[in-house]
Formats: sequence, structure tokens, C-alpha cells
Amino acid sequence: MTEKTSPTVNSFVSQNRGLILSLLALVVLPFIVGLFEGASLGAVWQNESGTSKFVQGLAIEIFILAIYALSYDLIFGITGLLSFGHSMFFAAGAYLSGILLKSFDLSLGMTLVWVLVIAVVNAFLFGIVLPRVKGITFALVTLGLGSVFHIVIMSREVGDYTGADVGLQAVPVPEFINPATHRLTFYFVAIVLLLVVYFIYKRFVDSPTGRVCVAIRENEDRAKMLGFNTFYFKIVALVLSSVTAALAGTLHTLYQPIVSPNTAGLGFTVTALLIILIGGVGTLNGALVGAAVYRLLDFGLRRYLGESASFINGAIYILIVLYLPFGIVGTWRMQSAKITEGRKRLLKLLKLEK
Amino acid sequence: MDTLLDVQEIHTFIGQYHILEGVSLGVPQGSITALLGRNGAGKTTTLKSILGLTAPRQGKVVFDGRDLSGMRSFDIAALGIGYVPEHRAIFRDLSVEENLKIAEREKGDYTRKSDMIFDLFPDLKRLITLSGANLSGGQQQMLAIARALVADNKLLLIDEPSEGLAPVLIEQMMKVISRLSVESTVVLVEQNFLVASQLAEYFVIIEEGKSVKSGMMKDLVNDHETIHRYLGAA
Repeated sequence: MTEKTSPTVNSFVSQNRGLILSLLALVVLPFIVGLFEGASLGAVWQNESGTSKFVQGLAIEIFILAIYALSYDLIFGITGLLSFGHSMFFAAGAYLSGILLKSFDLSLGMTLVWVLVIAVVNAFLFGIVLPRVKGITFALVTLGLGSVFHIVIMSREVGDYTGADVGLQAVPVPEFINPATHRLTFYFVAIVLLLVVYFIYKRFVDSPTGRVCVAIRENEDRAKMLGFNTFYFKIVALVLSSVTAALAGTLHTLYQPIVSPNTAGLGFTVTALLIILIGGVGTLNGALVGAAVYRLLDFGLRRYLGESASFINGAIYILIVLYLPFGIVGTWRMQSAKITEGRKRLLKLLKLEK
Repeated sequence: MDTLLDVQEIHTFIGQYHILEGVSLGVPQGSITALLGRNGAGKTTTLKSILGLTAPRQGKVVFDGRDLSGMRSFDIAALGIGYVPEHRAIFRDLSVEENLKIAEREKGDYTRKSDMIFDLFPDLKRLITLSGANLSGGQQQMLAIARALVADNKLLLIDEPSEGLAPVLIEQMMKVISRLSVESTVVLVEQNFLVASQLAEYFVIIEEGKSVKSGMMKDLVNDHETIHRYLGAA
């Protein structure tokens, strides 16, 4: 048994070395930051205020953005569906969980069940038009659906529930996960959720269904010619993406605990697009790297440059897109293949390797 | 000989353009039939119309005794029609093995056919883990044909297999297509008349969206007037 398992474990470790090291670093990060500040491990564990708690908060925001960006990478980067209404998936999860917790006093478990149901309904709402429209037309239809949702949550008629243009305020968060008092717990929950989503996505993309999604992105007609009803595959991708984005939205509500109408706007869809452009479209890992770069850059520049940060931010994004057209992860993968090939050629030339 | 594919007076539009204005052809089972004609005559559109990618507005396509009118393209493909599009249309982001596996219609097709495929295309076995984008033009064409062999297809539609290939590769390709016709029926679109005449037993000439002449290839090769008139070759 052990003999059979260990090669699998070894191959898993070697394939995910970077991810495992990053995970270990993230696990110890709050304690290391605390130690630098002179706080004891116990103080960090007890969620006492300080830099460690602040860093945990920043990291949680990155994890939520990464989950959201992963969901966009699945439909755009992997399946090739350009959607301008993706923020609706996120905002639906954020608003619904906030409303159910605040106005209907539901438990977190029941709230999650409803979030999942609505996420699936949303995916089918986008999916209805799939057999008829594709490309930029699909993008515009989703923009329309997203805009309608944005207008509805900002309207006065539902203002008692959504907070209209002010947003949903003061959502009661279950004590065991309250980020004010149990931030470290929240931090680890967010890490676990991100990891689970990442590995489900990786498994999905490597599965036969995922490979068909990649084929659809490349050329839908060719996929049809192999006998695939591409509609079903696109619906599967949409459902998985919508559920993930909605869960990210719920996490966002629990962490903040307010929901701004901006989360339903076009700008927040563009945020997801920007994150995967920075990290690398269709790479999955790119969503994680992109989310970290996006949030840290935004935070750092705003802290030191104030309002002019947006201008510098924009310039940096343009430079990234110009000089790293495949994103950070995409470019790294291409270059590392070239470096490996070059090293092999050099070793052959030096006759150190056959 | 039984007719496997019967295309009856089809008219196909792309947008507002009337591309096929009456194409008819009968393809006998177990044969190779070449669709000939000048650039833009409507040969590729004929293949796409058979497959339902550009569905005909008039006329009908009967495959293996079944009328394909109104059927969706993926349902038509699932009846047992393999398509090798022009320009070596493989999936560039998938590996050679993934390109082959994705063509499975039933689980295990690839495992069952892999020996036969690698016997026809030994190069592909060596390149199995490489992504499609890293293959040469000839290798991509081999992969495109190999992909159509994974599932049990009764009919193979092959569009311009010799396009842009070196002479030595064209020869290899011709041998492969000849071998395929032992098990499948082949409809071949080919600009290179020399290649088409050596491979096909039957021909159909398409001119400005209409089928204008059809018959046995052995008769066409001696009919210099027809060749000169419709194909521009001496």
C-alpha cells in the first residue's frame, strides 16, 4: 500500500512545490509578523490588535479576490466565454447572504444553501442565451443582465433589504467566524476555501470535461465536429463559476460585513479581468498571483501616494500587459520551458549529458 | 455498390450570400470521392453543409439512409462522420494525446485504436506529450487525420490534406488515405489534381456553387477539355 501511495504523493509534491511552499508561508505568516512586532504567539492566537491582525485582513481580501478571479478564469480563460456581467455572480452571493443573515435571521448553513441555489439559477440565466449568441454578443447580453441586477439592488423599492445606493450595512456575522474577534480563524477558513476551490478547478480543467472546455475556447465548431454538444459543457463551466463567485461574495460579506453596490457593477467584473490578465489568462495559478499583485499594489500605492495612486496603478497595468502579454504565470511558464531547453543544449554541448 | 451519402440539390447561404446553388453528389460505400473545383467554388461549404455547420436551406442530405435535415451538427457527427478540416485544425493548447483522446465517442476508443493510429503515424507516438502548438505543419496534419480515426467513423470528410505540405509528406499522406478507404468511405476536397486523381475512384466537380459534372476518376483523367475548363489544369 505504502509503495503504491508514495510515488503519487511524490509526484503531487513535485507538481505543486510552489503552492505547498506558499501555503506553509501563509500558515506561519501571522505568527512571523507578530514576532517581528514583539507580540507573542499567544497574542496572535488570541487575535489581539496589531500588525499581524492587519496583515491577516489584507491577506483575507486577497484570498477572496483570488477565489473570485478563479471563477472568472474558468469561464473566460478556460472556456472562452467573455462575460461583462460576472460581478453579478459575486454580488448575488454577497447580497443574498447579507440579507438572509440580517433580515431573515437564517443560520449560516441555510444561508449557504440558498446562496448555492441562487448561484445555479444565475448560471442558467446567463446560459439561456448561449445557444443563440457568442463572442462579443454574449458579453453584451451578460452586461445587460448584470446592469439590471445592479439597478435592482440600488432601487428604493428593495432598499429595506439591500440598503439601496448606500449598500447593505452591519450584517450580523456568526461569532465563531467573526473577523473582528476571530480573525485568525477567518484567515484559515479563507485559505482552506481558496485551496479547495483551486484543487477542484485544477481537477476539473484536467478532466475530460475540462479538456472539452479548452477545445471550445480554441474552436467551438471543431469541438462540435467531434460530436460534443458544446452548450452542456459551457453550462457546466458557468454553474461552477457562478457557485464559486457567489461563495467568494458570501465570504466578502462575512469579512466586511457590509456590501457595496459597486460589487455588482461593471468595474468589479473588470477587476476580475485585470487580475487574470496580470496573473495569466487560463492558467488558474495566475488568478492567485494576480489577486496578490493587484491588491498589494493598490494598497501600497494608495498608502504612499493617496489619490494619484490610480494613475500609477493604471500605468503599471499597461506595462504588465505590454511586457508580459501572457501574464506573470503564463510568461514564467514559457520562459522556464525555454530555460530548461537551453540548459539541456548547453549540457549537451559541454558533453556533460547525453 | 450502396450509396452511403446522398446529397440532393442543396442550397446553402452564409449570411445573405447564396454560396451553394444546387450541389448534388452520391458517395458509394467504401470509396474515395474527390470534390474538385477552383478556389471559392463551394467545396468546403459543401462539407460544412453535410455536417450541418452551415445548414442547407433547400435540398437534403441523406447519410446511411437517414435524412440529416434539421439535425444539429454534433448529432450529425455522432452518427459516424469524421471531419478533418483544412488548415490542420487541431487543438493547439492540448497535447497530442489529449487531441486524440478528446475524439473518443465511446470510452476506450483511443486505447482500442491507438496501435492502428501509431502504425499509420509512427511520429505521433514519439510526440505524444507535446502540445499541438509545438508540432510542425506536417505533424499537425497527421494529428488532424489521426483524430478522425479514434472513433468508429463510417465516413471521413477530409479537406485539403496536402495543402502546404512538402512533397515527401504528401506522398505519406496519400498512402495513409488509401489505407483508410479500406475501412471507411472518404470524401476528399483537394486542390492538387494529381493527388486527387491518384487517390479517388469517383469525382464531383463544383463550379460557382453548383455540381456540374461527376463520374469515374479514370474517365476524368483522360478528359482534358473538362479538366482545362473547370480546374484550369492541362
